[in-house]
Amino acid sequence: MNKILRLALVLFLVSAVVAGVLGVVNELTYPVIDAQKQAKTAAAFASVLKAERFDEIEFNNPDFPTVLTVHAADGGDTGYVVTSIFSGAQGNITLAVGVDSAGKCSGISVIEHAETSGLGANAASTGEVGVNFRAQFVGQDESIALSNAGGSIDALTGATITSRAITEAVATSIRAVKSLG
Amino acid sequence: MLSSIIQISLGAILINNFIFSQFLGCCPFLGCSNKVDTAVGMGLAVVFVMGLASAICWVINEYILVALHLEFLQTLAFILVIAALVQFVEMFLKKMVPSLYSALGIFLPLITTNCAVLGVVLLNVQNNYNFIESLVYGITGGIGFLLAIVLFASVRERVEFAEYPECFRGFSICLVSAALVALAFMGFSGMAIPV
Amino acid sequence: MNRKKQFTEGLITNNPVLVQQIGMCATMAITTTLFNGVGMGLSVLIILTCCNVVISAIRKIIPGEIRLAIFVVVIAGFVTIVDMLLKAFVPALSEALGVFIPLIVVNCIIIGRAEAFCQKMPVKDSFFDGIFQGVGYTLVLIAMCVIRELLGAGRFGGGLIDVANGFRFTLDGTGAGIQIFPESYGASIMSLPFGGFLTLGFLIAAMQYALKKSEDKKKAKAEAKSDEKEAQE
Repeated sequence: MNKILRLALVLFLVSAVVAGVLGVVNELTYPVIDAQKQAKTAAAFASVLKAERFDEIEFNNPDFPTVLTVHAADGGDTGYVVTSIFSGAQGNITLAVGVDSAGKCSGISVIEHAETSGLGANAASTGEVGVNFRAQFVGQDESIALSNAGGSIDALTGATITSRAITEAVATSIRAVKSLG
Repeated sequence: MLSSIIQISLGAILINNFIFSQFLGCCPFLGCSNKVDTAVGMGLAVVFVMGLASAICWVINEYILVALHLEFLQTLAFILVIAALVQFVEMFLKKMVPSLYSALGIFLPLITTNCAVLGVVLLNVQNNYNFIESLVYGITGGIGFLLAIVLFASVRERVEFAEYPECFRGFSICLVSAALVALAFMGFSGMAIPV
Repeated sequence: MNRKKQFTEGLITNNPVLVQQIGMCATMAITTTLFNGVGMGLSVLIILTCCNVVISAIRKIIPGEIRLAIFVVVIAGFVTIVDMLLKAFVPALSEALGVFIPLIVVNCIIIGRAEAFCQKMPVKDSFFDGIFQGVGYTLVLIAMCVIRELLGAGRFGGGLIDVANGFRFTLDGTGAGIQIFPESYGASIMSLPFGGFLTLGFLIAAMQYALKKSEDKKKAKAEAKSDEKEAQE
């Protein structure tokens, strides 16, 4: 019995030391990670819609459960940026969609995702594949669809689910902006 | 709710199979697939542990780590929980269900270092799954592993009688055959899930 | 301990992936661009070296019964530290590798080296073992990335090298790489899971072929020598 207690104590001590060290590292890196996230969101907004400033407006429409936030660009004159969270092929995707004053998509940017590297992850990549994929969405309205469903968006190779989820999210975002009136 | 469960299950078993599209759990997949019998044993043990680990880790994450803002300890806590769980399941089976223990027993210690188990727990957190979804993802992910390893074991039993260059002996020819099975699983990737 | 021998062991004769055949999940999963491969390789190298040193340093005070549990705790600690540092300073890499960074905890290379080497050897040897095994692992990842990226997308050094404004290395994963032939001519299936299994299978086969050849040569040499001796006698 004594031996078991001793072993448990040793294991507990080692775990406590490791947890303590992790706590310190977490304290040091947390602010940096947080700043990174905010900078990333800001960069995503700037890449989907050209505007001077973005102000968050209240949006609680139960018809749009996936919409996270709506930001008015230059007070709504230039358009809106909608962020939404929905499930892709592997996990949740957080997407920023710019909608211009004419109700057309002005650009999309994937803020966070967990898609397969080399497949669905291409939707967010900075390479040629990702840039071309995202460029297809510019100028589309809420009737947007994948080419195999009669629309004009070509899905990413091997990532039909990711592509479909993103296409649907863009349509939802445009509809959400139109619901503002 | 039901549609999301169907979506998760189909995704985990076929479309995003843990082995053939996510590469989680390759070591036991290649190590324990030389006979169909062993493959079935390993697969069942993985289903069991993945389901249990998903449920227990969800509770620990939600009510201890997130509640106390200790999210940075997730990896450490989860791996300890999985190791303890595997130990416990082994002792329990040995005492209470010796027949099952003799079938699954030797596979259990190997599961601690199976990245599919830690992987499914981490993905549950990443995807913000609730308790039911986590449990379903754990069990169906395990079933996907079982399906993959049993299918592959039958392929491998045939490969044994085939002729191939000597330098491909061992893991090498296994990986090449696994590539072909992965190709077959790609057929599922275009499958649409009705929502 | 002979450093030169340790070096050849880590890189070639006892290479973690190609000869010991462990730690294959990440090797196949993330090797789609050179950026991922180098990033993953260096992360493992750092974690492996740190774990080796710490485990070797405390090897005399760890009770044998719970040594595996303690190894796992130490490894998980270092993995989490690297995970947090990557998130803070190289977010592009942490995003590209995703769940495979925390999964280094169950990478058999690290726990395998702890069990097979560090719990018996002094700190200095363990340190070099970590470096050499880590370099061996990184080299395999790089080979996988180069093959898969070239055949799959006709590119070299995606994410890591930028040639648009003169040659430079991009550490934020934005470089487009060097396009060797147009991307549309590539067999994109090589960047899919199929390509991962296939490339690793062929790499292991090539390694077995090379090792066997060098062994045969050594044997032939030894035989020739003994023949010579016999002739002299």
